[in-house]
Amino acid sequence: MSLKKREIAPASSPEATLTAHGLRKSYGDFRAVKGVDFEVYRGECFGFLGPNGAGKTTTMKMIYGAAVPTAGELVVAGLDVARHERAVKRRIGVVPQENNLDDDLKVKENLLVYGRYFDLPRKLVLQRTNELLDFVQLTEKAESKVEQLSGGMKRRLLIARALINDPDIVVLDEPTTGLDPQARHLVWDRLRELTRENKTLILTTHYMEEAARLCDRLVIMEGGDIIARGSPRAMIEEHVSPQVLEFRAGHEVLEALEALLDGRADAVEHTGEAVLAYTRDADSLMAEVREAGIEADNTVYRQAGLEDVFLRLTGRSLIE
Amino acid sequence: MSKTNRTSFRLPSPRGSFRVWQRNITIFRKYWKTIMFPNLFEPLLYLAALGLGLGAFIQEGGIDGRSYVQYIAPGLLASNAMFAASFESTFNTFVKLKIDRIYDAIITTPVNAEDVVAGEYLWAGTRAALYGTGFLAVLTILGIAFDEPLIVSFWALLIPPMLLVIGIMFSVMGTLFTSLIERIDLYAYYFTLVVTPLFLFSGIFFPVEDFPAPVPQVAWFTPLYHAVNVCRELATGPSPAVLVDVAWILIFTAALALLPIRFMRRRLIS
Ligand SMILES: Nc1ncnc2c1ncn2[C@@H]1O[C@H](COP(=O)(O)OP(=O)(O)OP(=O)(O)O)[C@@H](O)[C@H]1O
Ligand SMILES: [Mg+2]
Repeated sequence: MSLKKREIAPASSPEATLTAHGLRKSYGDFRAVKGVDFEVYRGECFGFLGPNGAGKTTTMKMIYGAAVPTAGELVVAGLDVARHERAVKRRIGVVPQENNLDDDLKVKENLLVYGRYFDLPRKLVLQRTNELLDFVQLTEKAESKVEQLSGGMKRRLLIARALINDPDIVVLDEPTTGLDPQARHLVWDRLRELTRENKTLILTTHYMEEAARLCDRLVIMEGGDIIARGSPRAMIEEHVSPQVLEFRAGHEVLEALEALLDGRADAVEHTGEAVLAYTRDADSLMAEVREAGIEADNTVYRQAGLEDVFLRLTGRSLIE
Repeated sequence: MSKTNRTSFRLPSPRGSFRVWQRNITIFRKYWKTIMFPNLFEPLLYLAALGLGLGAFIQEGGIDGRSYVQYIAPGLLASNAMFAASFESTFNTFVKLKIDRIYDAIITTPVNAEDVVAGEYLWAGTRAALYGTGFLAVLTILGIAFDEPLIVSFWALLIPPMLLVIGIMFSVMGTLFTSLIERIDLYAYYFTLVVTPLFLFSGIFFPVEDFPAPVPQVAWFTPLYHAVNVCRELATGPSPAVLVDVAWILIFTAALALLPIRFMRRRLIS
């Protein structure tokens, strides 16, 4: 499983393949990214989490050259993006958040034509095209029109397209959004295969499970800032207690629960339909709830995960 | 580094521009038979309606010693190139820019935004030349068939390459408009206020030189006027004066070409 992999990965001294220092992006007066620092090591999968509008895509765009940093330093594959635009783009692959496949071309042609943009020899592009269609399980659709693909197939084709130049670094902006569970597992599988080939992945996602499975390290962004960072496991240890009780009940019961738990649990979160209590000792907390005579039949006990970290740090309410 | 030089101006690379051109021709090759037909047909309509219909009312002797059909045929080569390049650089480019987001995908590769624009110029020019060559062939054949020679000089072999240049010129103009608008409906302004007046007042259907001042003077400052002159001269055997028209086209195109590149780069890279 991925947990094991994480323990092995950072063994040898890591080599940074991407460095951002004080990286900032303003649109007029609005500061979308407010001067962030991060380092991505060769061969790792590095994640960006954060609510809508946090500045993830803006950061990705600065990496692949679709947005110009307002200030700061950004070095990708050893090259300053400001001075080596083309050279940087030659070394990276990009899966954008919005599909932008070439609808005038068939599935296979999308890859062939894209390969030409990198000046790759025809034969090599053809060979890689066939391999990549196989890799994302679209060989059967090779001659289809793009508009005949389902949303998930388009996403997979975008991933294949991002790999046509055999990039060192692959930037994936929400690669699995809109995929069914099977397709998502297929993509995860493929992405893990890429890290085994020592490719560096930079990924944004709204799926905590995805981040926990794939990412060696990640950052959480909010309002243009990085508000937390670390490996998934370290972040869980650092930011939340290990056990969670999830109470589901009517409004009044939840209010009473919240009042009771406040002070007794390490932390309490009240969402629309549930109260979450974070604790080191779920059993005794549950006992106290029963003692107080609160009816809490619909209660789930579970281990804390990345989702809890995310919710703790970014707040329960949707930020938009 | 602070403000990077990525927003600052860059010249397009020939390699990147070629790749964009190549993408377009890949698609064109699939459909050319179906899409070229109306473009060949349309000038024939003008020839029939105006050349034969209206021409019948034009007094004996025609214009400049040529029959009316002979007079307007070469000019239609120029306007045909204008329309081909204008549609390409307006509606087609807009769709690629804003709707299909083709350019967003291209500029994440070593092909830069400026290459995209230059590649589109070249492509629009190519399309104009291809259409024009087809039309030129039709005119030549019709002239022979009806014993009313429309293309009478071997200099006409230079018309296709000139149509390439003329196409690029109108692509630069169309791209400039495209780079400034947010809504596709606004092309109504471009076609009504720019393309149609050029079509009517550039000496295709009547010599503008015979108009009182300032019509000929104004015409001299417009692009299609020179394109019509060049095509007419090459079709009938040129005088040295044609070099002025060619120079005008080259200078105008070069002077304007960098502006849309700059604007489009700003639209593609935030
Ligand atoms: N071109 C632009 N002009 C002005 N503001 C922009 C532009 N692009 C993004 N923004 C703003 O910058 C902020 C960050 O946007 P960004 O797309 O980076 O968010 P995100 O973290 O990717 O969100 P999501 O999870 O919804 O994809 C948002 O407030 C957005 O409105
Ligand atoms: Mg985003």
